[in-house]
Amino acid sequence: MRFMADNRSMEFQESDARLMALLDLVAGRDEAAFKTLYDQCSSKLYGLAMRVVGNREWAEDVLQEAFLNIWRAAQDYRAHLSPPMAWMGLIVRSRALDFLRRRNAERAHVTQELDEVLEATLEGDSPNPMDTTLASQQAWALHQCLTRLEMQQREVVSLAYLRDLSHSELAQQLRLPLGTVKTWIRRGLEQLRACMARFA
Amino acid sequence: MNLLQHPDTLDRIAASYALGSLRGGARRRFEAMARVQAPVRAAALVWQTRLSAMTEIQEQAAPDPAVWTRILNLVQADGEVLKMQAARLPTTVAPAVGGGVGSGVQSGWLRSLALWRTVAMAGVVATTLALVTGASMRGQLGSQIAALRTQLEQTSKIAYVAVLADDKAAASVLVTFDPQNGKLVLQRVGGFREAGDKSLQLWALPPAGGPQSLGVLGQDRVMRINAAEGDVRQIPMLAISLEPKGGVPGAGGPTGPVLFKGPLVHNAL
Repeated sequence: MRFMADNRSMEFQESDARLMALLDLVAGRDEAAFKTLYDQCSSKLYGLAMRVVGNREWAEDVLQEAFLNIWRAAQDYRAHLSPPMAWMGLIVRSRALDFLRRRNAERAHVTQELDEVLEATLEGDSPNPMDTTLASQQAWALHQCLTRLEMQQREVVSLAYLRDLSHSELAQQLRLPLGTVKTWIRRGLEQLRACMARFA
Repeated sequence: MNLLQHPDTLDRIAASYALGSLRGGARRRFEAMARVQAPVRAAALVWQTRLSAMTEIQEQAAPDPAVWTRILNLVQADGEVLKMQAARLPTTVAPAVGGGVGSGVQSGWLRSLALWRTVAMAGVVATTLALVTGASMRGQLGSQIAALRTQLEQTSKIAYVAVLADDKAAASVLVTFDPQNGKLVLQRVGGFREAGDKSLQLWALPPAGGPQSLGVLGQDRVMRINAAEGDVRQIPMLAISLEPKGGVPGAGGPTGPVLFKGPLVHNAL
């Protein structure tokens, strides 16, 4: 568990290097490279946007805004220490959270609309599948540790982070008792800490 | 409690901080500690990094193909807005290009030219507006759109346009081609002035082969060069180099540095 097979490590380096080269070209306003980057990453980032905003149409707006951001900020990527997919993921999450804040401010009085992600979560036993395509080595470690959690703990921990939700907001969205949410988060985080320590 | 003496507690609170579940007073106290104690700060950063990978492992989903089209439109409009902002700088504008535009709309005219490509992609005007941040700018632009449409109708005989900019994207020369009169019209829009013993020379950069000279610029703000449509039809890019007075002697390519360049856009209106 502690050491990954060499070929996997190679894969990470190759996909990171490819994405970094593309970002470099995008920084030089290369539209063809931008299209390639989109083709390679859009499904991944769209999946992330879906998880945060919970609705296909909104996620498309978020994806659009995020890629415009990537286009404008690609030259700043060189100064970042994050792997390329983490950097782009951060942009998508930020734009998605902005989107939710705007939406909540606009329609505070409207009851919450259908959330496709939460509907699936509430339905139950089938775990939300995770995906390590294009993910960095650091993401692989997190993935390994999250798969060891019980499905519900993994779900509340993931949603708490991705949607930046407090315990009570989570309880409200998931229609669960506050005490249950607190317990799941605490236990989930404890297990995650123990597991991540082995990758340190 | 001194967290530094309780590494396990520090780790737990740092994880909770990075996850976002540490809220209110507890969060503010932790942040205050992190500002003064490097190990606390480091623990927070470690967990922020670890959890940021959460964005990398979500299940994939294919977006609608229309999303890419929208992004591409925005990105192309973005480029035009940048040029437009660069072209906004000069306050005095030379007489209207090709005689096709009344003098009353000159200041708008300059900006409009940079916007042509955007407008040529019909319906993207609103997108461009959405891109321009700042309420004052938005209002200013909004009122220009109607005038812009009128101008475009009046000036549809100009078939090609290029904004030649330096490496910092500051526009310097605006090139338009009027096929009816067989004229390339060059308009200086930046503050650049070559030294007395130098000249600026305009080049067509064809897809294959070396640069072809289109002419040498004089000191006037606006100048016209005779050209046939065939000279520019297949040309994707124009450039201006700094040459000895009177331009490169003979038929060779540029000898001096390229100062300005830009894509030649076919205005499909």
